[in-house]
Amino acid sequence: MEGYTWTLRVSASERGQATVFTRQHQYRVGAPVHFDRAYEGVSALEYVLGAIGADLVNGLQTLGRRRRVAIDHVEAVVEGELNNPLTYLGVVGETGHPGLEKVRVRVHLASPEEGEAIHRLWHEMLATSPLVHTFQAALQLELKLQVMV
Amino acid sequence: MEQPILVGAVLYDPKVSVIWEIIRDFFEARDCPIDAVFYTNYELMVRALVQGHIDIAWNSPLAWLDAVRQLGGACRAIAMRDTDRDRVSHIITKTQSRISTVEDLRGKTVAVGAKDSPQATLIPLRWLQHHGLEPERDFQVRRFDVLVGKHGDHVGGELQAFQCLARGEADASALLDLNWRGWTRNGTIDSHAYQILTTTAPFDHCCFTVRADFPPDREQRFVQVLFAMHYDDPKHREMMDMEGLKAWVPGRTSGYTLLHEAVTSQHVFDEHPG
Repeated sequence: MEGYTWTLRVSASERGQATVFTRQHQYRVGAPVHFDRAYEGVSALEYVLGAIGADLVNGLQTLGRRRRVAIDHVEAVVEGELNNPLTYLGVVGETGHPGLEKVRVRVHLASPEEGEAIHRLWHEMLATSPLVHTFQAALQLELKLQVMV
Repeated sequence: MEQPILVGAVLYDPKVSVIWEIIRDFFEARDCPIDAVFYTNYELMVRALVQGHIDIAWNSPLAWLDAVRQLGGACRAIAMRDTDRDRVSHIITKTQSRISTVEDLRGKTVAVGAKDSPQATLIPLRWLQHHGLEPERDFQVRRFDVLVGKHGDHVGGELQAFQCLARGEADASALLDLNWRGWTRNGTIDSHAYQILTTTAPFDHCCFTVRADFPPDREQRFVQVLFAMHYDDPKHREMMDMEGLKAWVPGRTSGYTLLHEAVTSQHVFDEHPG
């Protein structure tokens, strides 16, 4: 099989908000990382963390439909930690690196189905998730599923 | 374009960089460009000032004394926050304890912050020396060395010293008046359960420091823009609240006497000949 490649175009603007063009969509991405809670944009790091969470919740929904496992609601809380955010700011004398060190994801899932069916779905979703596979190899990825009846 | 003035600052939390972004924009908008250079500790920043890598250092009080020492006095304190002036530290005890005078601390344990914290260690210990109590001879010192090198900017050591007192592992603890006020207000400290045993003489805190050879016109321009920040202006207030001040005021050096005594008596710079 030939490799499948996704191509996006990303255009910078003066105000530090890049626009990403992908197929017929576009969205804006702000600074690589930002430490101000009032920052107007969405940082690149937040997009990455959001993408991990979306991969999991959408993956569960999609697979649930395919396996006829009813899901009432699914939501993820994603927490990401950099190895040393001060290195991103160029603080003289700091050690480490500005990369992601740890990502914790808690997935809350509400379903009328039996626990065993849900856990089968969860493990199948993890086995087929592109982002889980990518980040598991790169950093500490903690994934927890909490089932609510 | 005019060469930016390089301003050094020690960063203990990435959030602090936000304040500096606002300050940078403020200066930029007034045709006085500055660039902030961040350091992990004061030792590195003072060295950078001494070697001329930066023009201005946002110095802790201990870093000010270190700069004076390393430059042989050839430096100036050009500006500070109104809240940097006339600070005091408290030594507190439990209300229920039988300690009612400083003399009662004899034979007891006093919890303090990091070894390089002026407000939570050096000045309180000096204050007790003023009262005739010698650390480790007349009372035991329990020190909490959190983020040494940042001169107590991070309140972690101070907080751990208080928690040590709360657990009953010390008989007293030292903290800055602003932290006493903040922590009794937000419930970290139950103001009925703890009391101020003694309060140090006033001292000054941070200051913007330049070397003696920093061009006077550049210095003048910097302070002119700095002093143009007004708390009444909502656009300035956000940054000033974050930095904990109502006004920038001229620098002065009369408020560092007590710390100077502490540094000498506690041999602080003996490990760092400079």
